[in-house]
Amino acid sequence: MIHDSIIRDRLVTGDKTASDVTRDIARPILNNPSTAWKVGFTLSLIFLGIFGVSLLYTLFTGIGVWNINKSVMWGWDITNFVFWVGIGHAGTLISAVLLLFRQKWRMSINRSAEAMTIFAVICAAMFPVFHMGRVWVGYWALPLPNAFGSLWVNFNSPLLWDVFAISTYFSVSLLFWYIGLIPDIATIRDKVKSKLGKTMYGFLSMGWTGSTRTWARYELISLILAGLSTPLVLSVHTIVSTDFATSVIPGWHTTIFPPYFVAGAIFSGFGMVATLLVVARKVMNYENYITIGHLDAMTKIIMVTGTIVGIAYITEFFIAWYSGNIYEQYAFTNRMFGPYWWAYWSMMTCNLIAPQVFWFRWARTTPWFIFIMSIVVNVGMWFERFVIIVTSLHRDYLPSSWVMYSGSLTEIGLFLGTFGIFFTCFFLFAKFLPVINMAEVKSILRNRE
Amino acid sequence: MGILDKKLSLRDRNKMLIGVWEDEDQLMAGASEIAHAGVHIHDIYTPYPVHGLDRIIGARRSKLARIAFFCAVTGLTLMTTMIWYMYVHDWPMNIGNKPVRFTPSWAPVMFEGTVLCTAFGMSFFFFWRNRLVHGIKNEILDIRQTDDRMVMAIETTDGMDEKAVLNMMKNHGAVELREFHNGVQTVL
Repeated sequence: MIHDSIIRDRLVTGDKTASDVTRDIARPILNNPSTAWKVGFTLSLIFLGIFGVSLLYTLFTGIGVWNINKSVMWGWDITNFVFWVGIGHAGTLISAVLLLFRQKWRMSINRSAEAMTIFAVICAAMFPVFHMGRVWVGYWALPLPNAFGSLWVNFNSPLLWDVFAISTYFSVSLLFWYIGLIPDIATIRDKVKSKLGKTMYGFLSMGWTGSTRTWARYELISLILAGLSTPLVLSVHTIVSTDFATSVIPGWHTTIFPPYFVAGAIFSGFGMVATLLVVARKVMNYENYITIGHLDAMTKIIMVTGTIVGIAYITEFFIAWYSGNIYEQYAFTNRMFGPYWWAYWSMMTCNLIAPQVFWFRWARTTPWFIFIMSIVVNVGMWFERFVIIVTSLHRDYLPSSWVMYSGSLTEIGLFLGTFGIFFTCFFLFAKFLPVINMAEVKSILRNRE
Repeated sequence: MGILDKKLSLRDRNKMLIGVWEDEDQLMAGASEIAHAGVHIHDIYTPYPVHGLDRIIGARRSKLARIAFFCAVTGLTLMTTMIWYMYVHDWPMNIGNKPVRFTPSWAPVMFEGTVLCTAFGMSFFFFWRNRLVHGIKNEILDIRQTDDRMVMAIETTDGMDEKAVLNMMKNHGAVELREFHNGVQTVL
C-alpha cells in the first residue's frame, strides 16, 4: 500500500506541484540570463582566457616554462590532474552509488553533480596530455599498430591504465548524464517558444514521449548504468593511485593508496558540490529543492570521508615507522618537519581537523558556513596531492639531486585557467539545461513510502 | 520480433480514446479498472515514472539486463584478445623483465573495456528498442504530457464499448477526454 510518509522530512518543500517544478527549474532556460549569470560567466571567460594564454605559452615555448625538474618531474600538473579527477568522483557517487542505495535525496543534486564530473574530468585531462610535451603525438598513448610511430603500448603500466580509465569514465559519465537528461530536454522542448530552441531541444530529446513502456526500460537502464558506474568510479581513482603506488618512491609505495585516494576523491568532490550548490540554490531560488536537509546529508558525507582520509594519513605515518625502512621514515618526517611543513600541516588542518566541525548540527545546516568549509576542503585536498607528489620527489635516494620546487607563473595560470574551463562549462549548462532533474523530483513530491 | 518496439508509434492506428489526468493516484485507479474490464490500454504517457503502470498496461519485462551481460562478455573477450595479440603475439616487449603472458596487470584495461562496451552497447539497444533517435518527429498527444499531465491512450477495436470506457475514465478523475484519429484530436 502506498501512503504519504508522516515520519520523514519532505525532500521538496514549499508544497510544489509538478507544474511548479517545471516552471521553477525551466525558468533560467526560458528567460533571459540574469545579471548574476552574466557576471559569473564573464569572470569564467576571463579565467578561460588565462588558461588559453598559459597553454599557448607552454606550447610555443616548451614544457621548460613549468618549474618541474629532474627530481620533481611531477609538480603542479599532476597535482591538478589528481585534484580535478577527485572532484569528479562525487557526481558519480551521487548519481550511481546513492541510486543503488535508493537514497532519494540525491534526486535534486544528481544532475549538477554529474555535470560537475564531466567538466572536472575535462579539466583533469588537460594536465597529463600537455605534460607529455609533444602533445601532437599524444595519440601514441593509444593502442595503435607500431607503424604509427610508437610501439604497442605497455599494458603493465598504470599510466596506460589511466588512459583507459579516464577515457572510459568520461564517456560513460557523459552517456549516463545524457540519458538522464532526455526526459527533461523533452519537457523544455515542449515549453520553449523560439524556433531554434524547438529544433535544438527537439533534436536532443530524441522523440521522447514519456511512454510507460519507455519509462520502465529507462529506469532499468539507469539502474544497470549505476551498477556499472559504481565499480568504474572506484577503479578510476584506484588506478590514479597506482600511478604512485606501483613506483618505488618512499611515500608513494604503499598499499593503502587505493582506498585512501577513493575516500579523498569523494571528500573533495562533495566539497565542490557543496560549493556550487550553496551558491546555486540561493542565486537560482532553488531553496525548496536543495533544502537544508540536502546540505545536512552532504556535510555528513564530507565529515565521514574526511575522517577516513585523516585515518589514512595517520596509518601511512605509522606504517612508515613500523616498517623500519629508513627511506620511508625519512620521507614522512620530511613531510611533517621538512621545508614543505606548511603544506603538510595545511593538509592536516583542512582535511582532518576542519571537517570535524560537522559533528555540530549548526555547522551542517548553516549555508554560508558550509560554503566556507567546502572551500577549506578543496584547498586541503589540493594540498594533499601537492604533499604526496612534491615532498616525496624533492628529496630522493640521492642527496646530490635534492631540490626545491614551486610552481611557475605559467603553472599557476594553467591551474587557475582550469577553473575558467570548469565554470564556463557550468554556467553554460545552467543556462541551457535543467540544473535539477525535473522528472525525478516530480516523482518524490508526495513523500511516498 | 525486431528490436524496435512498434507499439511505441502512433502511426497507422485505429481511432484512439484519450484521457488526461492530473493526479497519479486517480490515474492508477482508473487504469487498473479499465484493464480489469478487459480493455487493452495502448500506452500511458507520464512526465515522470509512475511505478506499477507498466504492469497494468501489460508491458513485458525488459530483456535489457541480458543484453548488458552479452555486451559485457563481448567487451571482455575483445579486450583480452586485443591485449594478448599486441602484447604476447605480435610484438613481445621486455619491460623490467616482466613476463610476457597474462598477468593481473591486464585486469584494469580488461575491466575498463568491458564497462565501456557494456554501457554503450546496452544504450544503443535501449535507444533502438525505444524509438529514440535524434531528429525523429515527436508523437505527443498533449503538450503537457512532459510537464504535469498524464495521458492514457486506448486504441479502439471492433465491438469495444467506447462510451463505457470513456465513462470509466471520467469517473476516475480524467480532466479531459478526446478522440484521436488520423492525426486529428477532437475534444469530447
